[in-house]
Amino acid sequence: MKNSGDKAGSFQWLLLISVFIVATCGLIYELVAGTLASYLLGDSVTQFSTIIGTYLFAMGIGSYLSRFLNNNLLTWFITIELLVGMVGGFSAGILFILFEQIVYFRVILYSLVMATGILVGLELPLLMRILKDRVEFGDLVSKIFTFDYIGALFASLLFPLILIPYFGLLRTSFFFGFLNVVVAWIVAYRLKKDIKHYSSLKWSAIICLLCLGMGFVLSDKLTEFSESLTYPDKIVYTKSSPYQRIVITKSAIDWRLFLNGNLQFSSADEYRYHEALIHPGMSVIKNPKNVLVLGGGDGMAVREILKYPSVDSILLVDLDEAVTKLFRSNTALMSLNSHALLSSKLKVVNQDAFVWIRQQHKKFDFIVMDFPDPSNYSLGKLYSTTFYHEVKKILNPNGQLVIQSTSPFVARKSFWIINETLQHIGFLTKPYHCFVPSFGEWGFVLATNSNETHDAKLPRNLKFVSRETLPQLFVFPPDMDRVESSYNTLNNQVLVNTFEKEWADYTR
Amino acid sequence: MITRRNFMRQSLQAAVGTTLLTPAFNACTSEHIITGKVIGPNAALGHRLRDMKFESPTQSKSTDVLIVGGGVAALSAARVLKQNNVSFHLLELGTEAGGNSVAGKNHVTAYPWGAHYLPLPNHNDPELIAFLKEAGVIIGEANGLPVFQDYYLCFDPKERLYINNFWQDSLLPHEGISLAEREEIDRFTTLMHEYKIMKGRDGKDAFTIPIAMSSQDDVFLALDKISMHTFLIQHDFHSEALHWYVDYCCADDFGATSRDVSAWAGIHYFASRKGRAANASDDTLLTWPEGNNFLVKKLQAYCQDEIETNALVYGITIKDDGVEVLFFDAKENRTVSYHARQVILATPQYINNRIFPQGKTVSQSFQYAPWMIANITIGSSLSERKGEQIAWDNVIFGSQSLGYVNASHQYVGIATAEKVLTYYYPLTGSDTTSERRRAYERGYDDWKEIILKDLSKAHPNIAKEITNIDIWIWGHGMIRPAPGLIWGQEIREVAASVDQKIFKAHSDLSGISIFEEAFYQGHQAAKLCLKHRP
Ligand SMILES: Cc1cc2nc3c(=O)[nH]c(=O)nc-3n(C[C@H](O)[C@H](O)[C@H](O)COP(=O)(O)OP(=O)(O)OC[C@H]3O[C@@H](n4cnc5c(N)ncnc54)[C@H](O)[C@@H]3O)c2cc1C
Repeated sequence: MKNSGDKAGSFQWLLLISVFIVATCGLIYELVAGTLASYLLGDSVTQFSTIIGTYLFAMGIGSYLSRFLNNNLLTWFITIELLVGMVGGFSAGILFILFEQIVYFRVILYSLVMATGILVGLELPLLMRILKDRVEFGDLVSKIFTFDYIGALFASLLFPLILIPYFGLLRTSFFFGFLNVVVAWIVAYRLKKDIKHYSSLKWSAIICLLCLGMGFVLSDKLTEFSESLTYPDKIVYTKSSPYQRIVITKSAIDWRLFLNGNLQFSSADEYRYHEALIHPGMSVIKNPKNVLVLGGGDGMAVREILKYPSVDSILLVDLDEAVTKLFRSNTALMSLNSHALLSSKLKVVNQDAFVWIRQQHKKFDFIVMDFPDPSNYSLGKLYSTTFYHEVKKILNPNGQLVIQSTSPFVARKSFWIINETLQHIGFLTKPYHCFVPSFGEWGFVLATNSNETHDAKLPRNLKFVSRETLPQLFVFPPDMDRVESSYNTLNNQVLVNTFEKEWADYTR
Repeated sequence: MITRRNFMRQSLQAAVGTTLLTPAFNACTSEHIITGKVIGPNAALGHRLRDMKFESPTQSKSTDVLIVGGGVAALSAARVLKQNNVSFHLLELGTEAGGNSVAGKNHVTAYPWGAHYLPLPNHNDPELIAFLKEAGVIIGEANGLPVFQDYYLCFDPKERLYINNFWQDSLLPHEGISLAEREEIDRFTTLMHEYKIMKGRDGKDAFTIPIAMSSQDDVFLALDKISMHTFLIQHDFHSEALHWYVDYCCADDFGATSRDVSAWAGIHYFASRKGRAANASDDTLLTWPEGNNFLVKKLQAYCQDEIETNALVYGITIKDDGVEVLFFDAKENRTVSYHARQVILATPQYINNRIFPQGKTVSQSFQYAPWMIANITIGSSLSERKGEQIAWDNVIFGSQSLGYVNASHQYVGIATAEKVLTYYYPLTGSDTTSERRRAYERGYDDWKEIILKDLSKAHPNIAKEITNIDIWIWGHGMIRPAPGLIWGQEIREVAASVDQKIFKAHSDLSGISIFEEAFYQGHQAAKLCLKHRP
């Protein structure tokens, strides 16, 4: 008597703990789906409320469906647990890989939410029916619901405070899928004499655990794999050079180049950027002859420079041979830069700009600095007083220097820091900006050693810069206008710190 | 677009989960091999001083002034002699000059085997300022302050500390530290700042570099009689984080904990550096990939022809007409007798005890801390924990090591995954003799294990990212300024010149081992030598 009472007690505890875990897992899946949806699709209020609504509704369907399951309840229960573990556990991974990959992302999203909801909805009614004949029913119902709700509370606290910051979404969902399966297995093991196909269930559980465990361990690899899938358009080229990952995509309207996931140009509007980069400076130099381009391995800047017949030599210094090679050999890309990289006036040096410039003596009439934005400490050095000193040394007294200077709208302080840094080492500067639809408002700074001015002599057939539009580029509306700022040095890196903060605030 | 992608990346890359399972997972993949060995120093040659078994000299030479040793102090003396057109010769035991400021190099970068930085110099030592100008380190003046060469000022970010599972900026602990402790740390830094601007009744700075120019006011000298630890307790500092920080600083400059160095020396670390620059903040330092070996090479430029390496001096005797110096020429495997009119003895005192027994020998109060230095080559991108990115100085809270300096930090180009980390490990136990024995007894694999265990805390997969570890053991790395050493009687007696023929120059005579003191000892000895020319 006593013995069996004890047994029933420990059995009841096992079940209550299972309820607790199952409830925690259920809520976690719901939160994972809500979070993913709101980040991927934006508008978190709508996403969360529709996901929760769908999920609860699906649970209702599950409860309703449970009445149609009549034989082998235990086997059903365990099978459903295994399924919940698999569907819930893999949902984040599946959604992540499919995002931007397929048009009907929402359909997949809500189907997964429905599936998880239905399965979770089946759990409790089934469990209660199983227990009905096994343990004294008495206060069991209330206990089950108590544990169900405690589990929910537990999950809702755990999720934002611990799981997301430390585990990340993918690992969280794999981990809880794993837990779910473990619960199913333990219950099956305890009741194995009542189950017909215990051994096949056991093997299913082992296989599920292996899959989920692999998913957990390989989360990083999955990230790498799916990283290349986060581009909106069809990928036509990828390559990892020692310095960066090069990706080119193509859509019906344009080609796009991405370096390390950052958009470099869209063929639909890059002429705006490159005309604005080159012509305001180039057109005011009397007979420009020697031109230096730092960065800009795609050849678009060189294409614009070649529009000045007086130019007899262009030197392009770009770190990455993979980029310059690509834009010198791929027919489609060569038509974008008008075969500029094959010009006999051009010499290409694949070297680090900072390392290279320290050994230079030859002077240039026009220098273009088209580096990536100062988003890390390495790049920040190319926007420092020290680097500008080196550039100043090789700029002819009447020469012009132009620097791509990030967005004065998004990163207003950063933009003006670049201007201030140039002024600090004695350059006279003329900041300006233009609108490039695929980028937004974009900024440049023109710097010179002399205040001699010449009338702009623009090449013909430009699509964006003209005699009329040119002066407008130098006008800053109040929301982008000059702000007090410090200057960037190698030993303070204020630019990188400011830039990081401004872009983070903007994209939050 | 950006939001989503960044979000995905961050959430997917959250690191904690990986560490639970990846080690097990990695174990299944191929075995990763780390190469390397214990590189130096060449202890065998130096240890011949123990049994003193040398054949009688087969050759004799003579010179005007002979410099014994080739560290910073020796080279600083050589510079002054050269500038005064005195002919001299220099004997150095190692394969190259530099002493504790030697460096190495591999396919990635140069890296230091010892000293790696110089704080902005104080203005008390005009000779040092002059040298830094000659060396192109100071390139001008603006607003009454020196302008330093940008490439030599430590780039930002300068330092970070791994504490409570997070890389915070600055070495002063704040991440996850209680408010009460942070207040104590603030009180400490304020107190140190007060000492920094304090002057004694003699009008001199309470704490400065060179030490010899510090105030002699009893109030301050009394601090040399107690330990830094006692000082902290007396001032009601009990915060564990603060005690760790002070211990870290004492280990950095003295290779000892706050219990084994005097409060005067401990405070000196915080309160003596008053150098300023026109183009950098006060706390910036000067550093090079090869560390202070950069400065050594600049000093060597004055005496390229006078330096003789692989030369072990083993006997110095004062004679009527000068000094007889016996040395073993390891290159030719022979002993040589040198006759010099004067000698500048730029070797540490524990060596002088053996090679110049005629002079005043030192007692147990001269203790030298042993150090282990490892240069670690990283082949693929370094796994990181949360928080700040890699800085120049990277320290792990609570570790026995001082963390590592990124030797590739001053590279101006785009950083690649490959880098060299210089890892510093002082053996800070109170008993330096047994610590030294322990340092030598540990084999390469023991050291490797210690290093991997320590760094894995902050870089979970570092064992797979390292391609090579080379190790250097300094048996007598640094003098320890134990209470009573710096301002005691003994150090003054030992430092005194003998018979106007032997002039001593080594950083241990200042009681602390830093570039500025070695440099100061060197030119002071040379100037005394010039004054007493026969
Ligand atoms: C690990 C470590 C890190 C350090 N980091 C810094 C730092 O970052 N910044 C800093 O300022 N200081 C640092 N130091 C202190 C450094 O010791 C001094 O900066 C300076 O190099 C000391 O120079 P020295 O000439 O006084 O002594 P040493 O460098 O000891 O010079 C003595 C020379 O004498 C030679 N010698 C010894 N015996 C004989 C003999 N019998 N015959 C011939 N030659 C002999 C030795 O080989 C050596 O070259 C560090 C020291 C160590 C050990």
